[in-house]
Amino acid sequence: MTESSHIFKTILLSRAGPKARIALNRPRAGNRVNPSMTEELAQAAEFINQDDSTRVVTLTGQGQSFSSGWERIRFDSAEELARHRAAGAIARIQKPVVAAINGDAIGQGLELALAADIRIAVATAHFGMPQVRFGVLPWDGGTQRLPRLVGRAHALALLLTGAVIDASEALRIGLVHQVVEPQQLEAATDSAVEQIASTAPVAERYAKETVMKGMDMTLEQGLHLEADLNILLHTTGDRAEGIRSFRERRPPKFSGQ
Amino acid sequence: MTPYQTIIYEKQGPVARVTLNRPDVLNAYNVAMRDEMYEALEAIRDDPEVRGVVLCGAGDRAFCAGADLTEFGTAPSQAIARQVRWERDVWGLFTSLDIPLVAAVHGYVLGSGLEIALLCDIRVAAEDAVFGLPETSLGMLPAAGGTQTLPRVFGPGPALDLLLTGRRINAREAYNLGLVAKVVPRYHLMAEAQAVVEGILASGSDVLRSAKRALQRGMDMTLAQGLELEARMALDIFRARRGPIPAWRGAVET
Repeated sequence: MTESSHIFKTILLSRAGPKARIALNRPRAGNRVNPSMTEELAQAAEFINQDDSTRVVTLTGQGQSFSSGWERIRFDSAEELARHRAAGAIARIQKPVVAAINGDAIGQGLELALAADIRIAVATAHFGMPQVRFGVLPWDGGTQRLPRLVGRAHALALLLTGAVIDASEALRIGLVHQVVEPQQLEAATDSAVEQIASTAPVAERYAKETVMKGMDMTLEQGLHLEADLNILLHTTGDRAEGIRSFRERRPPKFSGQ
Repeated sequence: MTPYQTIIYEKQGPVARVTLNRPDVLNAYNVAMRDEMYEALEAIRDDPEVRGVVLCGAGDRAFCAGADLTEFGTAPSQAIARQVRWERDVWGLFTSLDIPLVAAVHGYVLGSGLEIALLCDIRVAAEDAVFGLPETSLGMLPAAGGTQTLPRVFGPGPALDLLLTGRRINAREAYNLGLVAKVVPRYHLMAEAQAVVEGILASGSDVLRSAKRALQRGMDMTLAQGLELEARMALDIFRARRGPIPAWRGAVET
C-alpha cells in the first residue's frame, strides 16, 4: 500500500510503512537536475527527517536514466549556485538512503547517488563525472564525496579524464556496492531496504552518524564518538529488547525508543 | 635539451617527459638524481608551456628499484641530512604541482620508485611491473611519503598490508587494488601514458588545476569544509566562462 504524501512536480515521494521512496521524475529529460528538483528534494528530505514512521529511503529515477546530470546551466553568484546544489538534501537525510541506480548516473546525477549510503546499480548503467570536459568543476559535492568513496586515485582518474565507465568497472572501484540485471533491481533494493527496516532505528541512526562524522575526525576522536554513542544506546529500550530476543531465540520487536 | 646525468628531461609540445636514467643500477634513486629531479620539477613548475607530465624509467628492467643503498650513511651528519631534505624538498615540490602527472611504470617499482609513482596522479603500468615497499624488512621506513600517500590512494587496509609485509605484487593485483589505472603490454606503455595525458589536456588547464586542487586540498579537510571549497572553486570557474554549459547528451564512450 502506497500513501502519497506530497504533490511534487519533478520528483515522486511515496511511502509504505517504514519505507519511503524518492523517484526523480523528469524521465523525458533524463531526470536532469534543475532548480525545481533541487527545491523539491530539499522539501522531501525535510519531510522524511521529521516523519518518525519512515525508517529507510530509496532514491531512484523514473524511466531509463537515474539522472543524466544537469540542465543547460549558468550561475554567477553563490546564491544561484545554491539553487543548483541538490546532493546536500540527500546527504541531510538522517535515515539510511539506498540509491537504486536504474540507469545512467552522469555528472550531477552521479553526485546525487554519491550522497546516498548504499548504491545498487543495474548492469546497463554508466557512470561519469564529465564536468571538466565542459570546462567546469563539479559543483554538487563530486570532488569531495568521490575520493572519500573510491580513494584519491580512482577519483582523480574519473575527474580529470571525464571518462564514462560501465557498471562492472563501477563495482570494481567501489563506486557501487552491487550490480544486478535490470529486472532484479527492485528485488535487490527491497532486500537491502527490508534488512535495514528490521534493525533498531536509533542504533541505525547512530551507525550512520559515527561513520559519516568519524570520517572527518582522527581515528582516536572517531573511536571516542563510537564509544559515547554506544553508552547512549544503553539507555534505549530497543537495546534491551535486542538482548532479550537473542536470549529467547526470537526475532526482536523494536519500538524506536 | 638535457644537461642532466641521472635523468632525461624533454618537452613534446605541452607535455614534459622526465625519464629516470640510471638503467645500469635499475634507476636507483640517489642524491644526484634527487638534485636533478628537483631542478626538473622546478623547471616544470615555472614553465607555462608545460601542461602535463609523464614520468618514466629508462632501460628494460625497472621504473625505479628504490633508493641507492650504497649512498646510505654517507651524509656528514643527521642534522645536515635533515637540512638538505628541508632545502631540497622534492616530494613537497611534487605535490605542489597543479598540472596532471602521469607515471608510466614497468619492471621493478620498489621503495622510492613506488613512492615517486604514488606522488603522480595517474599510474599506467606495463604487464611486467612489480610493486613493493621493502623498507620495513630492511629496518627502515618509507621516506618519500609512502606511509601517507599509500593509504590515501587505496585505503589503509591494503596500505598496511604492503607496508608491514613488504610483499611484492604484480601489475594485475596493483590494478585490482586501484594502485594503477591501466595495465598495458610493455611495448605500448609510453604510447598509452602519452594518450592518457593528452586525453586529459583536451580539457582546459584552469579547470584541471581546480579539479586537482579541490580534490587534494579537500581530502585534508572535513567534508563540510571540502564542500565549501568546491563551491567557491566551481563558482570561480563558472564566472570565468561566457554563456551557459549545455547538458550532457548521452553519447556514451567507454
